[in-house]
Amino acid sequence: MSNTPDQPPPSLVKIPGRESDNRRSFFAITAAVVTGSIAVLTPIGVGIAAFLTPLFRKSKSPEVRIALLDQVPDDGMPRYFPVVADREDAWTRYPAQRVGAVYLVRKPGKEKPTAFTAKCPHAGCFIGYTPGSKVFQCPCHTSAFNLDGSRVNGDAEVAPRGMDTLPVSIRQAKTGDGNSIAEVWVEFIDFQTGHKEKIPTA
Amino acid sequence: MMKLFRSVGDWLDDRAGVRKLIHESLYEPIPGGARWRYVWGSTLVMAFMTQLITGIFLWMAYSPSTQTAWESVFYIQYEMNGGWLLRGIHHFMAQAMVVLLAIHFLQVVWDGAYRAPRELNFILGLVLMLIVLGLALTGYLLPWDQKGYWATSVGTNLASQTPAVGPEVKKLAIGGSEYGHQTLTRFFALHAGVLPGALMAFLVLHIALFRRHGLHARKPDPAKDAMFWPDQVLKDSIAALAVLTVVLLLTIYFGGAELTAPADPANPYDAARPEWYFLFLFQFLKWFPGELEVWGAFIIPGLIMTVLFLMPWIGRTRTGHLINIAMLCVLLGGAAALTAQAIHEDYFAAWNSKEEILKAGDPVQEARYEASERFLNAKEEAHREAERVIELAESPMRIPPAGALSLMYDDPLLQGPKLFAQNCASCHNYVDPTKPVEEQPHAIVNAEPTAPNLFGVGSEAWALGILNAEKIVSKHYFGYPGSPFVDGDMVTYVMEAVGPDVDDEQRAKAKEAFAKIAETLEAEAALPTAPKTNQERQNRIAEGRELMTGGLADMLEGGMSCTDCHKFHDEGDLGLAPDLTGYMSREWLLAFVRNPAGERFYGDNNDRMPAFGPHDNPQLNQLDDKSLGLIVDWLRGDWVRVSEPVEKFDEAP
Ligand code: FES
Repeated sequence: MSNTPDQPPPSLVKIPGRESDNRRSFFAITAAVVTGSIAVLTPIGVGIAAFLTPLFRKSKSPEVRIALLDQVPDDGMPRYFPVVADREDAWTRYPAQRVGAVYLVRKPGKEKPTAFTAKCPHAGCFIGYTPGSKVFQCPCHTSAFNLDGSRVNGDAEVAPRGMDTLPVSIRQAKTGDGNSIAEVWVEFIDFQTGHKEKIPTA
Repeated sequence: MMKLFRSVGDWLDDRAGVRKLIHESLYEPIPGGARWRYVWGSTLVMAFMTQLITGIFLWMAYSPSTQTAWESVFYIQYEMNGGWLLRGIHHFMAQAMVVLLAIHFLQVVWDGAYRAPRELNFILGLVLMLIVLGLALTGYLLPWDQKGYWATSVGTNLASQTPAVGPEVKKLAIGGSEYGHQTLTRFFALHAGVLPGALMAFLVLHIALFRRHGLHARKPDPAKDAMFWPDQVLKDSIAALAVLTVVLLLTIYFGGAELTAPADPANPYDAARPEWYFLFLFQFLKWFPGELEVWGAFIIPGLIMTVLFLMPWIGRTRTGHLINIAMLCVLLGGAAALTAQAIHEDYFAAWNSKEEILKAGDPVQEARYEASERFLNAKEEAHREAERVIELAESPMRIPPAGALSLMYDDPLLQGPKLFAQNCASCHNYVDPTKPVEEQPHAIVNAEPTAPNLFGVGSEAWALGILNAEKIVSKHYFGYPGSPFVDGDMVTYVMEAVGPDVDDEQRAKAKEAFAKIAETLEAEAALPTAPKTNQERQNRIAEGRELMTGGLADMLEGGMSCTDCHKFHDEGDLGLAPDLTGYMSREWLLAFVRNPAGERFYGDNNDRMPAFGPHDNPQLNQLDDKSLGLIVDWLRGDWVRVSEPVEKFDEAP
C-alpha cells in the first residue's frame, strides 16, 4: 500500500471547508496521542498490576511440630523428619501436606536438638543423608556438609553457605493419661538460595 | 474445473493480490543455484511449524494446574489416540530445533553471512535462538513430573541469584514464593503464548530482512543462477522430511517422551538434570563454588552472549572473521566437552567396578562413584515410581479429584518401603533370603539387623522359618546380635522338636505337624497373596488348629503345644508370648506396631521395639494411622494389583 508519487502525503491534503489551523491540529495531535495511549495502556496497566500480584504477597513461615523429643536420640546422628503443614497454592488449600523436610541432630547430653532444613543453600535440591554416614550430601552439584551443617570443603564447595538451621522450641503436650510429653517444634523458614547469608524468602 | 479454479484465483488476486505475493515468495533468485547447504533455515521454519501444530493439539488436552497438569499429560500419553506420538513429536522436534539452530548459526558464521548489510538479521537470529531456548526451558516444567519440577526449580533458584532483582524475578516467574498452580499458568502462558508470539514476530522480520538482502552465496557462479522455486524448495522439502523422519524414529524408539512420577515437593529427586542441551551449563556451574556462582551463571554467559552479538562487527576484517570462527569452535567444543563430562560423572558407577575403585583407595574417585551411584539409583527409583503410578492411573480406580499425587501417597507399594526405611530399617531388614539381593529391587538391606527379617511376614514360608531349627537361629529370625530370644523358650522348643539331636522319625513327624501349623498361621494372617483354599487345604488348616491347641503335646517329647505359651482363639492365656489369634493379620500387626509391649504381644519380654503409636492423641505418635497402615499393608503385600488380580483368601470356617 504505497503512495503513488503524484499524490501528496496525507498530512498535506487539504480538506475542503476546513481551515488549516496550527493550534487546532496541535490539539488534535495531543488529544489523539493521549486518548490512544489511554486506550492502549489501560489494559496493559491492568494486566501488569495483576501480573505483579506475587510481589505483594508475603508468605508466612509455619511453626510445625516435627517430632517427639524421644524420637531424637542424643547420639549426635541426624534424623530425617518430613515437615507437615497446611499449604496454600493460589486458590487451593491443602491441609496437612508434606512441605519439606528437616534433619534433627541432638548432641549427647543436650536437651534441644538442632534443626537443619533439607533444602540445599546452593540451588534448592534436597540434601540426602545415609544413616551412619559422616556427611550430608546434595545430589545435584555434589555439595557435602558435615553433621554440624558446615561445608566439608569450605569455600571450595559449590554451596555458598552451610546448611540452614531453623529455630527450634521444645513444648510440653498432655498425653491421654494426663502426663506431659516433650515435643520438638520448628519454625519452617524458607531461605533464598545462592547467597552467603541466610535471607528468608517471603 | 480449471475454469472455476481460474476464476477463484482471479477473484482472490483482485481482492488480495495473491498472485504477486506468491510470485514474490517463490521466484527469488538464488545466485549460484539451489544448494543443499541452504536448507537449514527452511528446516528450522518447518520445525517451528511442527511445534506450532503439535503444540496447538497438545494445548487442546492440556490443563495447567498442580492437580491437572501431570494428569492431563498422562491422559495425552496413555489414553488419547496417538497421543504419545503427538507428544513425542513435539518433544523430539524441540531437540531437533536446538540442533538445527546450532548448525544454522555455525554456517552463517562460517560463511561470514553476518557481514554488512546483514548485521541486523544476524542479531534477530540470535534473539530467535534465545526465544527457542526459552521455549525449551518453559516446556520442560509443564508435565509437572519429578524430572521437570526439580530441574526447573534448580533453574529458577539460579535465576534468583541475579544481582539486585533476582528474588523478585523469581517470584514473578513462579507466581509466588512456592511452585504451584501459578507457576504452571505462567510458564504455560510463556510457552504457548508470549514466546511463540515473539518468535513469530521476530521470524517474520528475520525472513523479511533475509529476502531484502537475498541469499549470501560464498562463491557465486553466475552461470548457475536459479530461482527459489522449484529447485531450492525441493531440496528444502527433502531436508524437512529427513528431519521429520529422524524425529519420528526417535519418538518410536523411545516410545514417546518420558513422563516421570508426579511432581512431589516433599520427595527429593536425586536424578534432576536439565535437558541434554543444557547439560553443559549445569556442568559449567560446578566449576564455580560458593559466591563465584554469579560468574558461572551470569557474568561469563553474559559476556559470551555479548561477544556473539558483536560478531558482525568483529568479523569485518579477515582476521576478525577468523577470530569469530575460532571462538565459535572453542565454545562448541567446550560445550561438548562439558556435556561429555556431565554424562561421564553421572554414569561413572555404571562404567566402573566398585571393587576396583575401592581397591585404588582414592577418596576423590570413591566420592565420584558414590555420587554416580546415587544418581543411577534415583533414576531407577523414579522409573519404578512412574510405572506404578501410571499403572494405578490406568486401573479402574482412575485418578481421584485430588490428583495423581494422592494415588502415590495412598499406595502401600510406593510408600511402604519409604516409611519402612525411615522407621523400621534401623533394626529390621526386608530381603528374600532365597534370592540374591541384586534381583530384588524392593529389598531393604540391613546387613546387621537387630530384629527379624520382615520379608513375607505372615506367609506360610515365613512361619515355617520360625519352626525350622536352622532358620530360627539365623539373623533373619531370632539369631540377630544381642537377641534375648536365641536362648528363649521358642528356640528351645523348636530345637527339641526338630533340632539336630532329634531322631529322624520323630523329626519327620514334627516337621509334618509344623507344616500344617504354618498353613494355619497363614490362614490367620489372611494375606491377600495367600493361595486359594480348597477342601484339602482346609482340612490341613483344621488339623493345624488342633495341633496348636493341644495335639502337638501328644506328638512331641516335650509334651507342650502352642497354647501352653500363646493364646490362640479361646485356648491359652495372654501375657507369656504373643497372641496367635489373627497372627499377622492387618488388625494384629497394626495393634502390635502401635504398642509391642502390650499384654497381647511381648509384654515385659519386648526386645527394644519402640511403641510407634501408643497415644490416643495421634499428634503425639511417632507414626500416624495412615503411615502405620501403609507400612502394614506393604509388609502384607496388600496393594492394588492391576496386572494380576489378587484372589482373596477365603478364611476357613
Ligand atoms: S543444589 Fe545442592 S549442590 Fe547444587
